[in-house]
Amino acid sequence: MAVIETFGLSRSFGNIVAVEDLTLEVEQGEVLGFLGPNGAGKTTTIRMLAGIIAPTSGYAVVAGFRTDHEVERLHEVIGLLTEAPGFYNRLSARRNLEFFAGFYPYVDTQTQVDKYLRLMGLWERRRDKVGTFSKGMKQRRALARALLHEPQVLFLDEPTAGLDPEASREVREFIKDLSRQGRTIFLSTHNLAEAEFLCHRVALFRRQMLAVDTPQNLRQRLFHRQVVVQMDSAEDSVVDAVRKLDFVQAVHREGSRLIVELADFERNRPNLVECIVTAGGRIQEVSETEYSLEDVYLTLVREETEGSNATKS
Amino acid sequence: MRRRYIINIIKKEWEDTLSNLNTLLLITLAPLLIIGQGLLVIYLVVRFAGEGVLMSPMFQTAMEKLEAILPSIAELPPIDKLQVLLFSQLHVYLLLIPVMIAITFATFSIIEEKQSRSLEPLLATPVRTDELFIGKALAGSIPALVMTWLCAGLSLIGIACLGTAHILGAVVTPSWFISVFLLVPAVTVLSFLLGAIISSRVNDPRNAQNISLLIILPVLALIAVQVIGVLLLTPLLFFIIAVIVGVVDLIVLRIGVRLFQRESIIIQWR
Repeated sequence: MAVIETFGLSRSFGNIVAVEDLTLEVEQGEVLGFLGPNGAGKTTTIRMLAGIIAPTSGYAVVAGFRTDHEVERLHEVIGLLTEAPGFYNRLSARRNLEFFAGFYPYVDTQTQVDKYLRLMGLWERRRDKVGTFSKGMKQRRALARALLHEPQVLFLDEPTAGLDPEASREVREFIKDLSRQGRTIFLSTHNLAEAEFLCHRVALFRRQMLAVDTPQNLRQRLFHRQVVVQMDSAEDSVVDAVRKLDFVQAVHREGSRLIVELADFERNRPNLVECIVTAGGRIQEVSETEYSLEDVYLTLVREETEGSNATKS
Repeated sequence: MRRRYIINIIKKEWEDTLSNLNTLLLITLAPLLIIGQGLLVIYLVVRFAGEGVLMSPMFQTAMEKLEAILPSIAELPPIDKLQVLLFSQLHVYLLLIPVMIAITFATFSIIEEKQSRSLEPLLATPVRTDELFIGKALAGSIPALVMTWLCAGLSLIGIACLGTAHILGAVVTPSWFISVFLLVPAVTVLSFLLGAIISSRVNDPRNAQNISLLIILPVLALIAVQVIGVLLLTPLLFFIIAVIVGVVDLIVLRIGVRLFQRESIIIQWR
C-alpha cells in the first residue's frame, strides 16, 4: 500500500521551476532515498510533502491526507527532520522537546520525552541548554523531536549533513532501526553510501525524476556487467584469442588485467576462463566490475545535463 | 483557536525571552527607570524651579487650557496647579513602556526563531500559523501591559509619596483612564505587530529594534505637545486617538497575519 503518492507535483518560484511533474509512490515500511545535487529541488519536495508549502500544480497524498488541503491532520501523522536541526538555544533539551510535544494532544508528553531522551543518549544532558550541545547531539535531539508523536511517515532532510563519521554512523543506525519498526521513511541525502546502506529504493532527482529503483536494478539498467580477469601478464596472444570469441562484445586491457563485456554474463564466463587458460594465460583472479551508486548517480546526472544542454542549443 | 497550543507558545516565549538577561533587564528595570525618572524630574522642577515656572507665559497658557478641561483645579494654589499639570503628563509618558517591551519581545522572538531556524520544524506540527502568531503576540503584549499598568500604579503611589496625595483626584481623570486602559493596549498591539513585521524582514534584533523604535516618534510628539502646553488632550481627544490606533492595529494585523502564513515564512522571510 502506498503511503506517499505524488501526482504531477510541481513547484515554481517566479520563473524558476524547482520541482517539475514529480510522480512517485512510496510503499508502507519502505525507505526511499531521494538523491540529487544541490539545488535539485529535494528540500522543496520535502516541504511540499510535509504540507509546509503548496505545489503550484499537481498534488500529493501522504498517509491518506492531501498535503495541500488537510495540513493539520497530516501534521499529526508525519515527522519532519529539517536540514537545520532548529531549536531554542537557551532552553534545555527536555524543555525543547516538551514544547514540541505540547502540540500533540494525544501524546503523553513526559513519557515520550523521557523515552526519546534516553533512546538518543541525551538523558544525562537533559537539563543542559541545547546551545551547549555538539552537532551530533543536536541532530539526535532533532530526530527525537520528529519522533515524539510516533509518526508512521518520516521525512528526513540530510540527516547526517555536517556530522562527524561517528555521529553519522549513530544516526544511520538509528534510522535503520526506525526502518525495522516498519516506518515509512523519505530520506533526502547527498551521501550515496548512506542511501545504499539505508534505502530499499533510491530516486535520482534533478528538478524532475531521473530514475527510481533499487540501487542494484539501477546499476544493471545503466551498466553492462563486465568480467575482470587478473593475470600474471596479459599477452597479445591471449587478448587476440579472447577477441575471437563470438560472445565477447568488448575487451579492454589495463596492464595485466582484462576487462571483458560478455553477451551473457553468467553463461559465457566459464567459456571465457577456459579460452584464456587454453591460450596460455595464467589467471590469478576473476571478478566483476563494481559500479557504485555514485557511478549510477553521476551517469544519470551527466546524461540529464547533456540532455538539457542539447535542448537549449 | 486552540487555547492549549496558544498557552504552550506563550510559556515557551516567556521562558526563552526571559532567560536572556539583557532582555529581562530591559523589560523589568527600564520601565521602572522611566517612571522613576519622570517623578524625579517633576519633583525637581517643583522644588527648585517652581516659582520661575509659575511666572512663565507658557505655564499661564497651559494652565488656562488645563482649567478648561479640569475646572475643579481652579481653586488649588498655583504650585498645586503646576504639579497637576506635570503629573497629568505622566500617563502619556507611560506609553513609552509598552512600545519598548512589545518591540523587544517581537524582535527577539521572531529573529531568534529565524536565526535558529526553529520555525520550519514548528510549522510541521499541528499548530496553525494564526495560533502561532496570536501566541507570540500575547506573549509580547501581556508583559508589556502588566508592566505598564504596574508603572501606572507606581506613578500614583509616587505622587502620594511626594506629599501631593491631595491632588491625586485631579490627576486620575477620565483622560488618565482612557490613556491607560484604551490607548496603552492599542499602542502595545501596534508595537508588537510592527516589531513582528519588521523582524520578518531583517536578521539582526538590534536593527529591527532601531527601525521599530520609529514607532516611538509619534508617542514622543504626543508627550512634547502636552509638556510644552501646545495642546492639552481632552478625554475625547484621547478616545479618538485610541480609536485611530485601534483601527491602525486592525490594518497592521491583517498584514501581519498574511506574513505569518507557512509559505510566506519559508519563502519570503529573510
